[in-house]
Amino acid sequence: MLLSKTKTAIESIFPLEIKEADYARVGYHLEVILDAEKVVSLAKVMMAQGFYLEDVTAIDLNPDMEVIYHYAHTEGCCRVTGRAYTPRHAPEVPTIAGIYSGANWHERETHDFFGITFKDHPYLVPLLLPEDADFHPLVKEDGKVKQLKDIKRAEVKEQAGAPAAGEGKPAPAGGEKGEKA
Amino acid sequence: MKIERNLEEHSLYLNMGPQHPSTHGVLRVILKLDGEYIEEAEPVLGYIHRMHEKMGENRTYAQYLPNMGRVDYLSALSYNQCYVGAVERLTGIAPPPRAEYIRVITTELNRLSSHLLWFGAYVLDLGGFTPFLYSFDDREHILDLLESITGSRLTYCYFRFGGVSKDITDDFITGTRAFIKRLRMHLPMYETLVTKNVIFINRVKEVGIITPEAARRYGVTGPALRGSGIKYDVRKNEPYSIYPEVDFDIPVQDGCDALSRYIVRMLEMEQSMRIIEQALDKLPEGPVMAPKVPKKVKPPKGDCYFAVETARGDFGIYIVSDGTETAYRIKLRTPGFSNLSIFAEISRGTLLQDAISTMGSLDLVIPEIDR
Amino acid sequence: MGTEDTKIKLIKPGVTSPEAAAKIGEVEPPLVRLAVVEEILNLCRANSLWPMTFGLACCAIEMMATGMARFDMSRFGAEVFRPSPRQADLMIVAGTISKKMAPAVVTLYDQMPAPKWVIAMGNCAISGGPFLFKGQYGIIEGAVKLIPVDVYVPGCPPRPEGLLEGIFKLQEKITGKRFWPVAQRKSHVAK
Ligand code: SF4
Repeated sequence: MLLSKTKTAIESIFPLEIKEADYARVGYHLEVILDAEKVVSLAKVMMAQGFYLEDVTAIDLNPDMEVIYHYAHTEGCCRVTGRAYTPRHAPEVPTIAGIYSGANWHERETHDFFGITFKDHPYLVPLLLPEDADFHPLVKEDGKVKQLKDIKRAEVKEQAGAPAAGEGKPAPAGGEKGEKA
Repeated sequence: MKIERNLEEHSLYLNMGPQHPSTHGVLRVILKLDGEYIEEAEPVLGYIHRMHEKMGENRTYAQYLPNMGRVDYLSALSYNQCYVGAVERLTGIAPPPRAEYIRVITTELNRLSSHLLWFGAYVLDLGGFTPFLYSFDDREHILDLLESITGSRLTYCYFRFGGVSKDITDDFITGTRAFIKRLRMHLPMYETLVTKNVIFINRVKEVGIITPEAARRYGVTGPALRGSGIKYDVRKNEPYSIYPEVDFDIPVQDGCDALSRYIVRMLEMEQSMRIIEQALDKLPEGPVMAPKVPKKVKPPKGDCYFAVETARGDFGIYIVSDGTETAYRIKLRTPGFSNLSIFAEISRGTLLQDAISTMGSLDLVIPEIDR
Repeated sequence: MGTEDTKIKLIKPGVTSPEAAAKIGEVEPPLVRLAVVEEILNLCRANSLWPMTFGLACCAIEMMATGMARFDMSRFGAEVFRPSPRQADLMIVAGTISKKMAPAVVTLYDQMPAPKWVIAMGNCAISGGPFLFKGQYGIIEGAVKLIPVDVYVPGCPPRPEGLLEGIFKLQEKITGKRFWPVAQRKSHVAK
């Protein structure tokens, strides 16, 4: 119920992609991929649906950094993961601090770690690092940074492997866990 | 957020911390005061930033386990549980039932010890020293119990991928039952000593109001949220481990103030004891480790999120794996971070003395906030 | 970043040379030195240490536990935890010192009246402990990089008994004499 309602609401902002995820395996129900400009619309929808913001974070990837928003609901079990991409050399996304006040600190932290600029953020100075810090510790060295395809779950394999033992790991075990959860 | 420092004003700027006995660690709060009233408050973090997320990218999955005992050292086992839960979800390892029961028993014991310490420290902040001695004494009994099976007093590293490192003993079980009896006897004493104390009530009642709406805007979770009348507990909402199999309630208070948060925690202790008792009764026989867990855990590519309820609220781990022995990214969503972020808003316009009781009622553990 | 320049950079703005940095924390010798009086004073000092309430991280909880009911530091004359450095003569560095915190630690140390002592409690305060890895950007690798340390108490965290032993060692350092019997391990006794 909650899930389908949320899904319809998110579809109204025309995300690039919205798909239901396998909760037992990934821990979230909906995955939404957005234009960087749309993160504010997503925040507005989530606010209207009664979600709270769990965190804002990022992953350093080449050529585009991934900015991640986790929303969860206080009634029932529903977690939405929003993803937006922004170029690695000049990362910038709009702030959602105007909607979720708690995002203020999460965005400052993400700025500390990755150097992502949150447009129109009220106070974007280092939070966890010293005030004069001029480095971004979680930005990977050039040799180590990977591409999006290196961290994405292999779709084909998953489907093929799900009934039997997939990827050398017992897939039924995952199912068992799902039942329990 | 930012406090403008305007020298021509007649406001007083007060720097609380980083070394201040009531901030429980090294939190610094810059306060702008008008007489005794707080006009604005700006928490400054990072004084105990310990690079946990960076370490997650440098260590193998198993090597990162000890870190989990040190992010929030007061409820270290919840953190253990979250991390092993996330890796198990990612790899598909399933722990045997006995291990799940042991995990829940020890985690709830740990929650009790965390709440007891908070209880003592909170009353100490407000000027009462005696409860601190009592609660520490009770807490020592929990530490003894946990030490006998985990090997450490505080920074536990007890859970493994696919189980726990050591089975519990009969001594532990009898000891736990005896302890629960003892704590049941002591809780009413705490109540008469503190909860019904007029001085205490005056310090906490209608102080630090968190409205449900503000709580949601800031992502406040845990007892702080349940003190505002919202019944949200990850153990119920997003059940993990064996929590669906035990019967327990979620205490909720709707006063929205420090007193409500205090009462929620005191009531939660009783619930934790109920969970432990039921889990001990139902404890199945069997191994405590899943068979054939690889020495080097190498999850397939992909990401996963796992959330647990720690003593302070919703703690989540987001792991992104690139198929190697080291995580590509580990994000720790700590409850204290969000809970503290509301402080600036709720302390505005209150008395300076109330800032202490507000801050204490949020149950802050600074290394968990700074990570 | 090398040890030396970390030290200079972190200590207050005015201090620029290594010599000046090394001087910080040194106690000027008394004008008149009376050995007997000094000995009596030391005896008093050693048995009424006033530690500062100064917790940094996990180890601080064990420090609190040491002061509380079961371990009761006051049996050994060191229970008066003072929130203000001006009233304390023992600093127990209990936890990780981050780079952001380092100047504050030095300031606190400077504010303590001499004679003063420092116990580095836990691996973090000794060497950076578990947070020492290649490429670390946030912590000071040991309290000794900032302030002179008298006694090291290893452990992560050290047990309260460990901290008590550290206090005994400090008393021994101050007076040249150990007041409490050395704990015998059971197995040793059996042999
Ligand atoms: S030595 Fe260990 S217990 Fe002590 S502060 Fe460091 S990490 Fe925490």
